[in-house]
Amino acid sequence: MKSIVIDPITRLEGHGKIHLFIKDDGELANCYFQVPELRGFEAFCVGRPVEELCRITTRICGVCPDAHHMASAKAIDAVFGAEIPSAAHKLRNLLYNGFYASDHTAHFYVLAGPDFICGPDAPPGERNILGVIAKVGLDAGKKVIAQRANGQRVIEIIGGKKVHPVTALPGGMSKRISKEEQEELIKIGEDMVEFAKFSIQIVNDVVLAKEEYVDMILSDTYAHKTYNIGLVDEDNKVNFYDGKVRVTDPDGKEHCKYEPKDYLEYLAEHVEPYSYLKYPYLKKVGWKGFVDGVDSGVFKATPLSRLNVSDGMATPLAQAEYERFYETLAGDSSGKTPVHGTLATHWARVVELVYSCEAVLELAKDNEITSDHIFDPPKGIVGEGVGVVEAPRGNLTHHYKTDENGIVTEANLIVGTTNNNAAISMSIKRAAEGLIKKGTEITQGTLNRIEMAFRAYDPCFGCATHSLAGEMPLEVIVHDAESGEVIQTAQQNC
Amino acid sequence: MLKPILILCLGNEIVSDDGFGVEIARRLTDAGNIPESVEVVFAPLAGFALLDLLAGRAKVLIVDTIRTGNAAPGTLHKFAAGVLTPSKNLTTSHQINLPTALEFGRQLGLDMPDDIDVIAVEAEDLETVSEQLTPSVQAAVDQAIRFVWDWISRNATEEITHAN
Repeated sequence: MKSIVIDPITRLEGHGKIHLFIKDDGELANCYFQVPELRGFEAFCVGRPVEELCRITTRICGVCPDAHHMASAKAIDAVFGAEIPSAAHKLRNLLYNGFYASDHTAHFYVLAGPDFICGPDAPPGERNILGVIAKVGLDAGKKVIAQRANGQRVIEIIGGKKVHPVTALPGGMSKRISKEEQEELIKIGEDMVEFAKFSIQIVNDVVLAKEEYVDMILSDTYAHKTYNIGLVDEDNKVNFYDGKVRVTDPDGKEHCKYEPKDYLEYLAEHVEPYSYLKYPYLKKVGWKGFVDGVDSGVFKATPLSRLNVSDGMATPLAQAEYERFYETLAGDSSGKTPVHGTLATHWARVVELVYSCEAVLELAKDNEITSDHIFDPPKGIVGEGVGVVEAPRGNLTHHYKTDENGIVTEANLIVGTTNNNAAISMSIKRAAEGLIKKGTEITQGTLNRIEMAFRAYDPCFGCATHSLAGEMPLEVIVHDAESGEVIQTAQQNC
Repeated sequence: MLKPILILCLGNEIVSDDGFGVEIARRLTDAGNIPESVEVVFAPLAGFALLDLLAGRAKVLIVDTIRTGNAAPGTLHKFAAGVLTPSKNLTTSHQINLPTALEFGRQLGLDMPDDIDVIAVEAEDLETVSEQLTPSVQAAVDQAIRFVWDWISRNATEEITHAN
């Protein structure tokens, strides 16, 4: 038996490894995915005033600090038993959709775009944003930059600072919005909706126009039928900031819907000896290994999952895109038949991008956001709180316990990528099975197609293990699994 | 008015040796005698966000953490961005790395700096959540500060009256 190790070079931090074990007949026997871990996060939090955590936790991820700020703020509200005023809720929601509009843009155009626009077999030197711009034109690049800047400006206006917001506090928000700022937010929202339309056009022209890409999205190589989880509002529409966690089975039927604070009743974590990162699974279904199907507790928490667990989108353009998505990929525009193709996650991300842009405009036009009533001081302390939001890459949970003075005694996080750990391992295995057969020479294109399987999850292993992420360089080492002998190595992004 | 010269200190103040850039920024700022043409910025950022900070500058010195595995912890690596070895914060799995950001900025017609130098300390611990540098990296702070002042004196447009 042989094993292939996909391993980044060690001079970069945050390295993950992929081990592929190949039998003598060339079939894939197993797949292990390893990631490094950042130590001591809980110890760092213990002993600090809990209200500091929504600023500290923005530092554990360089990519989605805003998601941590919001999940943390909600957990802290709960620790103090605080209800936030309606205007504060809208401000947080507006900030959060501005963040999504920026983050999903970066992912679609910078990470996914190169695969679809330049092609999965293009050399790594061309398969990047520069290659994308070369194909779709400079004007698109300018639009991407403007959209990102608009998202940052929303965060700055409401969150007080670009990138790392600071204005959520137990009981509400600390910064009011002026009429002038509201006008600016409306203008930004209008620009964002135009950008959303442009992105729909890109999906049409670049992805859907090419049969091979649609086939790739639908192919078994990149699909498995797992449970899905995500936040939904009271109408079962996708919501990033608030709601209940809904879980649907591989056939799309509701498995459960729970209050975020009850997550421990529904989720458990499996541990493997080779990985620091745990494997969350559905407690009531149980851990059956790295397999899909209705009897396996493995679930996904991605943009695609959020669409799969929902009954639609809360804004009109996004709803139309949702219907088109399901009509194209499942033959049923209602969304009741789930889509399982991993690469469809990229299109799902665009549907969410459209929603976030429309939500920014809708919330910006709501005059309540300029209200003076954005904070109700907490009156007591409960001593325990859970906050859940949808981070761009999946469901994010912060759970804190404190003493009677609000000093942290325990802190636990389940981040977006951790939720998808089992599914990512399965996707890599599935992709490798489809691509590597006996005697297959592992080329850059093969490597990239395997990497595409987990890139769709937008994984943030640095964050998942509580450290800043690095680029994801890969080294594939082929071993004979019985002797351990290295047979072949291949690298990319090194 | 944007200052033409930027000392860009990257890192994360709660991840052990990744706090090196924060410490350098703090020491420079506390000294209180940064020339008018120079701005010192600490940023826990990467990718597109660097584009925002770099556009419009004439010269940039990036202070960062690196793990080459080929040098003792605390060793200072100095190189030009043109021969960039990816350091901890200059790459990101979610956006774009520094060379790509620079090229992207140029394609978009932004005024990107031609001269970017990097000083990066070989890290010992980039895995523990802590506000403390490891002793070997802490020991490199003074030497790095001297290098930065020397770089400022070579690149600032005005006379440097004091360098510590």
